[in-house]
Amino acid sequence: MASALRAAILGRIRVPVAQTLTLNGSKLSLCSTVRSMSSHDDHITKEEVIDRVLDVVKSFPKVDPSKVTPDVHFQKDLGLDSLDTVEIVIALEEEFKLEIPDKEADKIDSCFLAIEYIHNHPMAS
Amino acid sequence: MASAIPPPGRSEVLSLFRSLLRTSRKFADYNIREYSKRRTIDAFRQNRDLSDPSSIASAFSDGKSQLEVATRQAIVYSLYAPKVKSVMEIKN
Repeated sequence: MASALRAAILGRIRVPVAQTLTLNGSKLSLCSTVRSMSSHDDHITKEEVIDRVLDVVKSFPKVDPSKVTPDVHFQKDLGLDSLDTVEIVIALEEEFKLEIPDKEADKIDSCFLAIEYIHNHPMAS
Repeated sequence: MASAIPPPGRSEVLSLFRSLLRTSRKFADYNIREYSKRRTIDAFRQNRDLSDPSSIASAFSDGKSQLEVATRQAIVYSLYAPKVKSVMEIKN
């Protein structure tokens, strides 16, 4: 009877120990992912660029957020004009702390090109 | 004589629009920053259907002089930047 109780108690005690170990394990893996992201090359990932570009485009007053996808064209698909396009590119500059030269900015007419340009820009943050 | 100044092309107009928006971003004061941005967008929208070359040229030169004013005032106002942020700038 006592040994059965003891075994039951020990069984209960082991559970949290096992949990702590797995917790440590997950903590360790968490650290390693953070470290790999903040290594010498602290460039933002493509997924983050896509998310933030889409957020900026969706928050533009004239855009229907449900239509925005990573390869949407500003004028053909979203019905914007050239002035709106300039406004969006300026908003993207602000979001990513960039200054896009006029020649490059004129070419950006879709989410796809914006994502490509920002992803390849060394100063994007 | 009026045709002496060729009307600006599409890319020049967009470039002026871009410069004005960039300059408006430099104002330290929230209200002036938002006003100059709104004013720029409204003015370009209002004049988007201009077709007469001389009125395009005069709107363009007006915009250019406004850009000079904005550039100068952004510098002057930066010397007297507000010490507290506008309540509109505070993000929750």
